[in-house]
This record gives sequence, structure tokens and C-alpha cells, in this order.
Amino acid sequence: MARAGAGGAAAARASEWGVTRAVVADDRWLDELGVPEALSGAGLEVVRWPTGRDWRELLGLEGPAWTCGVTVPAWAVAERGTLALEAGATHGRSIDVACSHHLAVLPAGRIVGTLAEGLALSFRAGHPPASAVSLVTGPSRTSDIEKISTLGAHGALAEHVLIVEDARSS
Amino acid sequence: MTTCLSDIAAPSVARAARTVLERSGVEVSVPRRQTCCGQPAWSAGHPDQARGVARQALRAFAGPDPVVVPSGSCAAMVVHGYPELFAGTPDEDAARAMGERTLELSQFLARHDLDPGSGARGTVTYHDSCHMLRILGEKTAPRRAIGRAEGLELREMAATDVCCGFGGTFSLSFPEVSGRLGEEKARHAAASGADELVACDLSCLLHIAGRAHRTGVPLRARHLAEVLAG
Amino acid sequence: MSGDVVYRDTEGTLRERARDALEDEQLTGSLRAASESWAAGRRKMGELHPIPDLRRRAREIRTENIRELPALLDRLEERVTGAGGTVYRAASAADACRYVIDLARARGASLVAKSKSMATEEIKLNEALEEAGLRVVETDLGEWILQLAGQHPSHIVAPAVHLNKMQVAELFARETGEEVPTEREELVAFARRRLREVFAAAEIGVSGVNLGVAETGTLCVVENEGNGRLVTALPRVHVALMGMERVVADWDQAALLLELLPMAAIGQDASTYVNLVTGPRAHDEVDGPEELHLIILDGGRGALRGTSFEEALHCIRCGACLYSCPMWRSVGGQAYGSPYSGPIGAVITPLLEGMRGERSAELPFFSSLCGACHEACPVGIPLHDLLVRARAAVNPPEKRQARWLFRAWSQAWRRPALYRASVAASRVGMRLLGRRGWISRRLPGPVGAWTDQRDIPARWPPR
Repeated sequence: MARAGAGGAAAARASEWGVTRAVVADDRWLDELGVPEALSGAGLEVVRWPTGRDWRELLGLEGPAWTCGVTVPAWAVAERGTLALEAGATHGRSIDVACSHHLAVLPAGRIVGTLAEGLALSFRAGHPPASAVSLVTGPSRTSDIEKISTLGAHGALAEHVLIVEDARSS
Repeated sequence: MTTCLSDIAAPSVARAARTVLERSGVEVSVPRRQTCCGQPAWSAGHPDQARGVARQALRAFAGPDPVVVPSGSCAAMVVHGYPELFAGTPDEDAARAMGERTLELSQFLARHDLDPGSGARGTVTYHDSCHMLRILGEKTAPRRAIGRAEGLELREMAATDVCCGFGGTFSLSFPEVSGRLGEEKARHAAASGADELVACDLSCLLHIAGRAHRTGVPLRARHLAEVLAG
Repeated sequence: MSGDVVYRDTEGTLRERARDALEDEQLTGSLRAASESWAAGRRKMGELHPIPDLRRRAREIRTENIRELPALLDRLEERVTGAGGTVYRAASAADACRYVIDLARARGASLVAKSKSMATEEIKLNEALEEAGLRVVETDLGEWILQLAGQHPSHIVAPAVHLNKMQVAELFARETGEEVPTEREELVAFARRRLREVFAAAEIGVSGVNLGVAETGTLCVVENEGNGRLVTALPRVHVALMGMERVVADWDQAALLLELLPMAAIGQDASTYVNLVTGPRAHDEVDGPEELHLIILDGGRGALRGTSFEEALHCIRCGACLYSCPMWRSVGGQAYGSPYSGPIGAVITPLLEGMRGERSAELPFFSSLCGACHEACPVGIPLHDLLVRARAAVNPPEKRQARWLFRAWSQAWRRPALYRASVAASRVGMRLLGRRGWISRRLPGPVGAWTDQRDIPARWPPR
């Protein structure tokens, strides 16, 4: 989608999920897209990363049950549906699994063709990698009960990716 | 190579193999000094004992002629097992050479495009014995031989490529699991609706037929060589 | 150094445990469903991806990794240390456990959250920690279920595959004293809530390592549930236990194996989470562990390099060989009595015990040598050959008893005249024993086990 629609789409998804709070990565691009504003406008409590909130809250053990983590992936693999989240000051390494729902806002220019290509971006010679690079493909699942896949084991119950066409973001 | 199992329990199999080859226009010699390929001891973890017996096979089958065996298991032992069994011994080269000219019966027929002109009639279902399937990598040669017999129809059963549970000394060490797998195989064979079960390995057949008879599964079984010689 | 890998509470002989497992209809049903589901996924992967090519390259990669192992481990250690982590080379299970206990005490920890790691089962870490007064909670759903049930895993990737949802609900109800719903989704949600408490409170998170990438000092933790991420992100201290053979040189190699692993393990294109951890948190991060400790475990692995068993070190613990094994499919993993079951378990359990374990010596014989494991293995390990070699190397009581038999057999059957005489005698014996073409009675001696299950056709073809 184009930049202009990103905020609205994010708010719509959050409403659909019924989340009452959003933990948003501290990425300036999200501000430029107006995503935190749109979420706030939709009635969500917007918490910016890094947050001093207790883990018990972020894990949904106390306070609102449904929280949406909003991230900006470093890259993504098209065919596999894999997102790569890099830990850093703006992005924790837990937002997408601690929260009950995960909304990723992905610049279209960061989509690569293969896993190997993507990994080469995170692990470049002469460049110390992020302390955690987290690959995510779909929502959390387990087949531990009767070998039937059930969603929402420990990580997000649902995941949504907004792909935004934006020349300036890569 | 007649195989020790055929010698003891089913001499008709070796005779049938000879018939099949001669009818295909092949000159067959059956070395008098052959005994056993040595596999029972090798698989059971007694390589020294296996080597003593296998060496006799090297002697009995010395020479340039191809060695044809009505057993995927014995052929696999010679082809795949002998190089490791004789590695580092004076017989290493002889072992490799024998392996290079040894083929299972239906493999031999397929390789040389031979047709014994079998008069067999009826429907058969075929069990892919494990050594034949996975070590010799042979799935098509037996089916081609069945296909060439005009009176025969092949009806595939379920799970042809799952082990029958014989496994050599496994059948004696873990008889319950072995028996369970044999029974499943027998039931699949009976359920195919074919007149009889065929395979290229007498060991599998003795096990499956034996289990079928014990558990009351109605099953007729013969070695592929016997069917083709009919 | 090698120690006990088999579970201490394993009772009876392997044959007895296998026989009991065969009688358990619910187990049989669960195993069949799991294996068929895996096989269907595996077939689909075969249609979508060039598996034979990937397998060939994977075998080359792992061969090179094991050949270069000392240098790779040195580079891994250097890079992990450079990224702020601490590396400990543990020679034995006892060393590894002691390290974790000392660390826990030094940090004043009381609760340890664990994500699934077969290596921690191998070294009996949970028992050691509990004996030292720590509380340990398995956070992988299957492992947590087993922890509640007091059972051992039956598969290295899907450990509770032998239980059905009714049994799981019962376990949860017993643990909490509450009424627990029996629908899968609700069972999972229940576990999720309980285990989040653990993530929030644990001071130490312990994980395994699927692959260590030497090039950058990165540890790969692959999982589907998300607990691996939470265990390696929330607690202050992350302890990662890695078998020394699980190292690759660079990201090209890692990319290939990371793609192949879920195809083989779960019959799918990708695992949900692949956590790539390089050192503890950076100075400007507010989540992530403050300390990372990598324990590189030898535990008998190093001794296999340069032997005919070396290829066993190529294993990436995908579990495909288990699903493909007719023996494992018949009885499940618990009958093996080892954290490593199936074909790979039957090979490495006695090997890691230095061929000295009495109970593990039975394991290599629990196979019909059908070769399905080799066919299923994504890195092409010739497990069926390794099983035969392992049989030659171990010495359990049954084998000692059989030795005299094979010696006599070998002396007789290498001599054509003696061979023919014994064949003739056997033919006569069969004819005498046969009634209407069949021997249906139970015979004594070594052949007794045969007649336990099968009749013998006294004539061939049988009527």
C-alpha cells in the first residue's frame, strides 16, 4: 500500500483484533507514516519502546489482556513469509512475542528473494550483527497436542504485515 | 548363488532361478563349493565370524562371470557389505570385484533385457524388500519382470516399501515387534485382493507367510523366481 | 568424557518395554497419526523443493564441519567472547551441570526457565538443578506437559506426541486443581498463561543451540512456539548448551541447514521462530539478557572424530529418522530409555557412553536395518551402516551368549562339506517337525523366539 494508507490500515487491524494497547517500536519512520497517531486516534493506549513498564504487564499477566506490538522488520523473505526483526535501541527483541498480537510495518524495498540474501544483510563481514536477529514466519504455533497445529502457543496469537511502498525507507 | 535360506527351507527357489535364467538363454553354473554370503553374522555384529564364511564365497565365485542371486538381501551384502567387511585385508580387491559383478535375479534380467517367457497366470502383489529397495536401489526390475509375464497382473498393496519386520537376528531378539510388522504386511497383502504375495527375498516371505499362518491371515506366497519359472 | 545418557529410571529390558508399548493401543494410534502427518508433509516438501540436491550439499557441509571442528570451535569461542558472551568448554555432563549450578548460585537465582534442549536431557540438567535447590520449569509446551506427567519425551522434536488431548487436560487439571477445558485451543491458552508467569519471574533462561555459526559467533535457536525467544530474551542470564558438533563455518552453510531443518523435522517450509543470538544485550538495549553463557559440551562426542562412527556427528537433530523408523513407529521413543531415541538414538546413546553402558548396548539391535532412516535423513547419514558398526562395537549379554553360536556357525559354514551336512540335517529336521506342511509348535533354543511369533513352512511353497 502507499504511505498514506498505513496509519489507517494499522488502526483498522488493531480494532479488528480488539486490542486496547499498542507497544510501538521507536522507529522514526512509523511516526512519519502516522501510525502511532492513528492507533491513538482509534482509542488504543500507545506505549513507546523502550518502555519502563514491568514485564508482567507487557506479557499480559496484569493490565490489558490484548496488546499489539508494532515493529519495523529489517528485511523479509517474500516466498517464505519470513520477517527479520533486529534488536537495538529502537526495537527490543521481545515486542512481537511478549504482546498478544503482532503488527509489522514493512517497507516494500526491504523484501528479498531468499533467506540467504536476507541473512547476508544482517550478518555482513566487518559489521557486528545485532545482538538478536529474530526470524518470524507466521504466528506462534505448537503441534505438541495430538500433532495438530494450534496457534498462539507462547508468541503472538495473530500476526499481520503491512507492506508499505516508500522510496525513502530502505 | 543359491543362498543358504533356499538350500535349507526352499530349494525350489534356487531351482526356479536357474530355470528362469536358462529359459532366458543364459548359461548357468552353480558352484559346488558355495555356502552362505555371511550376512547373518555381519548384521549381528560379528564381522570376524562373517569374514570367515564370506571368504568361502569369494573363492567359490572367483572368476569373471556375473553372479546372480535370487535374493536382494544377499546381493546387497555382496555389493554393499563386502567392501567394508574386507577393507584392509588381502581379499579387499577380490571382494570389490565380486561386488561389481553381482546382481539380484530380476536386476540381471532387466539389465540384459531378458524375458524367460513366463506362463504364470493370476494376480500378484509385490513386497519391496528393504535391502533390494534401499541398498540396491531397485524398485522397477521386479515389476518389469512381472509386467512381462502376459498372464500376470500386478495389484499393488498399501505400504509396499515399509519393512516386513524380519531384519535378520532382529526377528529373534525382538520377536513381538517383528511379528507385529509381519502381521501388518500380511494383512496389507491379503487386502490387495491378489492371488498371492511375491517378493525377491525368501527371508521376508518366510517371515510374512509364517506370521500369516500363525495369525490366520489367508495368504499364499511364493518367490518371484518361482512365479516366473511357472 | 562419557557418562550415563540413558535415563536412570528406565526399568526392564528393551524387549520388555517394546512389548508393553505394543499393547498400548492409544500409544499406537498416536504414533501412527504423528508419523503419517510427518510423512505427508515430507512428501509435500519433496514436491516443492530439490531435496536430493539440498541433501547432497548438506552432507558436504557437515563433513567439512566435523573435519575442521577444532578450528571452528575456536573461532566460535573467539567471536562469542568478542560479542560479550562467556564460553565454557565442558568435557562431561557433570562439568556442564556444575557450571550452571555455580552460576545460578552466584547470581542468587531460584527459578530457571528452560526451552527445549535434548542436550540438557542428555546431561540430566533438570535433576542436577533441582538437587541444588533450584526450581526448573520446561516452557516448551510438550516438555511442560511431560514435566507435569513425570514422563520422558518420546520424540526429539515433538516430545509429547504419544499423549492425546484428554490426557493433557487431565494433567493440567491435576496440576492446578482447576477444571480445565479439553479443547486443544483452550489447553494451549491455559498453558500460555501459566508459563508467562515463569518467563516474567525466572532469573536464568536455559536453551539449546541448533547451530553455532563460527563466522559471527551467532547461536541459532529454532522453535515454533515462541518460548525459545522469551527464554532467551527476558531472564537476566541466558545459558545456551551446545553439543560440540553443532557448529557450522559461515552463513551460507547456516542458511542451507536452516532451510532444510524444518522440511525434515516438521515437513514444512519454515519454523515459526529462528532466534539468532550474538552475545548478550548491547549497551543501549533495554531487553535481552545481561549475560550470555555458551557451554560447549563434549560428553563423548570428540572421541568419535576420525572413527567409523564420525558421521553420527553430522546429525542436526531433526527427528526425521524417528518418524521413518518402523521400530520407533511401533513403540515410540520412551521404550528406548534414552533422551535420544529412534535410529540416531540407537547409535549415539551407546557411543556417547563410550560403549560401556550395559543398557544402551541393547539399542543398536533394535532395528531391522531397513534403511528408511538413511533415506529420510536430510544430511545423508548412513544410519543403517552405523547401526551394524555399533553392533560390532558393543557387548551386551545376549551378544556374548550368541558369540559361541556364531563361532560354531562360522567354522562349519566356511567348509562346503560341513555346510551341506548341516543343510541336509536341517531339511530332515523340518520335515520331521512339520505337520501338514507347517511347524506350529514352539521350539526350544535360539529358534524359539522365531516360533514364538511365526509358524515355519516345512515345505515350500507353503500350501
